[in-house]
This record gives sequence, C-alpha cells and structure tokens, in this order.
Amino acid sequence: MTDSNGMELVLSRVSARFPDEDHKGVTALKDISFSVQKGSFVSIIGPSGAGKSTLMRVILGLMPHTSGTIVRNFFRPGMVFQNYALFPWLSALDNAAFGLRMSGMPKDNREQIAHEKLKEVGLGHLAHSYPSELSGGQRQRVGLARALAISPDLLVMDEPFSNLDTITAESLKADLLKIWRSYGMTVLMVNHLIPDSIELSDKVIIMNTHPGRVQETLSIPLPRPRDTRSPQFFREVDLLTEAVRAIS
Amino acid sequence: MIHSVAHVQTRAWHRTHLTRHRRAWLLMTCILAVALLCIALGYFGTVAWPSLVDAVLRTTYRLVFAYGIALVLGIGIALLVGWSPFTDMLFPFFDILQNLPSFAMIPLFIFFFGYTSQMIIFFAASSIIWPILFAVLTAIRNAHKDLSDAATIFGARGLRRIPFYLAPLSFPAMLTGSIVGIAIGWEAIIGAEIITNVAGFGDFIREASVSGVNQASIAGTFAILLIVFILNRLVWAPLLAESSKRYSE
Repeated sequence: MTDSNGMELVLSRVSARFPDEDHKGVTALKDISFSVQKGSFVSIIGPSGAGKSTLMRVILGLMPHTSGTIVRNFFRPGMVFQNYALFPWLSALDNAAFGLRMSGMPKDNREQIAHEKLKEVGLGHLAHSYPSELSGGQRQRVGLARALAISPDLLVMDEPFSNLDTITAESLKADLLKIWRSYGMTVLMVNHLIPDSIELSDKVIIMNTHPGRVQETLSIPLPRPRDTRSPQFFREVDLLTEAVRAIS
Repeated sequence: MIHSVAHVQTRAWHRTHLTRHRRAWLLMTCILAVALLCIALGYFGTVAWPSLVDAVLRTTYRLVFAYGIALVLGIGIALLVGWSPFTDMLFPFFDILQNLPSFAMIPLFIFFFGYTSQMIIFFAASSIIWPILFAVLTAIRNAHKDLSDAATIFGARGLRRIPFYLAPLSFPAMLTGSIVGIAIGWEAIIGAEIITNVAGFGDFIREASVSGVNQASIAGTFAILLIVFILNRLVWAPLLAESSKRYSE
C-alpha cells in the first residue's frame, strides 16, 4: 500500500457483515468511504447502532470486512476504549508498558517510558496502583498512557469520555488536545457529543443506521485553539446539529 | 494537567473480609472444642489413632497429587482451547465428557492401574479436572470484547496471548474452579477408597463402620475437617482475597 496522498487511512466502499442465528448475516456497515489525512483529528458521530465501534474494529483489523478496500498507512495503531479495557492484574505502570513489553523492549527502558507517559497524563504518582484502585477518569488516563507509550501513528478512541463525569471529561479533553498537538499523530475518535466534535476535530463524519453508513462528512474550518464561546463555533454546532437531526 | 488522587480502598471490602475471616476461625474453634471435649470424655477411647492418621495422610497425599495433575491438565487444555478458534465447537464435547458418571469410570481405571494408589489418584484427577477446565474456559469465553481487543492491539498475539493475556485473565476462575475441584476430589478419593478397599481414609471408615466403631469415623471426620480448614485458611482464603481485591471493578 502506498502513501501517495498524505493519507493515514482510506476506506473505499467498505462493507462488513455479522453472522446471525439463521446464518444469513446482518449488514453492520455498507459502502463506507472516507479518508483520514495524516496528523488530522477526525470524529465519527451517529446514533446507536450506526456501527461506529464496528467501523473502528474493522479499521484496526480486529474484524474482517466483507467487501471494499481499506488502505492502512499506519503501522503502530493505539486505542483508547470506552470501558478503559485495562488489564486488572497489572499495575498502572505495567498497563502503560504492556505494548512495549509485547514489542520486546527491556524492562528498564519500557518502565521509564511508561512512567513518563503516566506523568504526561497526570498519573505519575499512581504508577503502582491497580485499576481497581483508580477512578474512571484515572483509568481512562492510564488507557491513554498505554496507547501513547507505543508512539502510535494512529490513535483510535472509542467514546473515551462517555463514562466520565463532565469535569473529568473536560480535563481529559484538554490534555488530549495538548498531546495531539505535541505528538502530531492522527486521531480517529468516535464521539456522541456535537460540541466536543466541533472543538476537537478537523473533520466530522456523520453515520446513519440500518445499515451503518456514512451520511455526511463535514470539515470544521475553525482556527485553533478554538474558542468554544465564539459565534463561529456556535454556527458550526448548529450546522452539525442540523445534519444530525436530518438523519434522526 | 490534573493530578488525581487514588481512590481510597473501600473499607467495606476490608470489613467483609475480616468478618468472614473471624467467622471461619470461630466455627473451627467450636469444632475443635467439640473434638477435644470428646477426647477428654473418653468418647474416642476405642479409636486406633496411628491407623487413622496414616489413612488421613494417604488420602490427603492422593488429593494433592490428583489436584496437581488436574490443575496442569485442566488449565493447559482450557488455555489452548480458549486460544484456538475452536472454543465454541469443543465446548459441547467437554460438556458430554463432564457428564459421564465419574464412579462408573472406576472399572476403567482399575483395568489400567489395578487396585493401587495411582488408580485412585488418576480417577480423582479425572473428576477434579472438569470444574477447573470449565471455569477457565468460561472466563476466557466471557471476557469483555474490549479487553481481548486491547490485548490484540497492544501485541498479545499468537502464542504470546496465552501467558500475557489468557492465563492472568483466567486466574480468578482457576481459583474458584480449584476450590470446587478440591471438594469433588475429597469425595472422589474417599468414595473410590470405600469401593475398592485401597488403604486410605475411605477404607478406614468403611472398616470402622463394618466393625461398629462409629467413633473412628467421627474422629476421622474431625481430622478431615481440620485439614480442609487449614487448606482453606492458608491457601484459598489469601488467594481469593488477593484475587477479589485485584480483579474487582
């Protein structure tokens, strides 16, 4: 696969089916086409059942697609999960170092990197705590540190803020923006909050249900850092809200 | 950047753990007190203590070996099957095997091993293995999809998936499967000893019952209870406490 257009990811008419009880299969995704530019921040929004999480799994190769083409120009994808998906038997430090351990990095090196990433997300002092001893926000930060530790070229985030309270989500969002700017990686995030999508993204992909498909793609032309109280911001929120209303 | 503080470890959990710990000790103290009272009153005067101790030790030794074999085989098979793409296909097969009446298999074990200690050990292992195997397999099958995806994305693929993801994931299930398996193991070994007359606690209580020395059976039951209690307090309780603390949500 070539990297001819500075694209991190290109999907062309991608469809995916789930097996069901009568073996006919359920179409989860139909003819999905979009591209993600390297270093950009792209959000995917849509109602429940639109196949957003399935799309993330297909993109990461965790689930096969039945037709279409996916061009993956990334080599080290990282993922942050809605339910954190931390390994309960490992400390925060060992969770953060998990990917590095799997890549064969010596213990001292990987622990040093993992510790740096935990500090970066504000959890340096909780390196030896276990997930069961951490709050939801802290767990999500460990999940982010785990993904950052492998220096991902694509960071996939599946509704990372939806299990968090507003204050924690706001703080994590601010940290995420800082991290994205400093790392320069591509971020693909499933989100369900319109203002968040406008604040964070260069592009928003709106999906529709039955079967999951791309309804519309909107570019967000606002300059960064974004003023979430500016008239331009509210106008973008209105535009996206209208687009979402049109499908519901 | 926010500097978070660790969740305070739930005091309720500690209280529950402490209460269970105290209750177990209280119960065992009562049982020991009754046993000592029986000894003091001369109720166990007719019991052949050296024979009883020998029988209990033989049975315990067989249980330890049978559990060891069942643990290695049960976890090994469950991890390999759980790792393979054939889990759903093999589950009903194991279910049928598990449902074979275990005592009906004794003649088969006698055929292979004769009336020996090995026969009892392998027969018991064939009973202990199922709760361990099913507990581990079920834990792997029911693991949250996100956790499995996280393991895959961060590199726990191929055979590395077994030691770095599947084995630690199924540790709590292995513990509960072991506790159930050990209980089944006592039953299988003592039952097999009674049926086959191979020397051990089962054979001892059968002899005692036939001779009308019921005190020997009661004294033996106290001895087994003591071993079960020690095993529970020294091995299972600390492991369960650690597992429930570490793996709780």
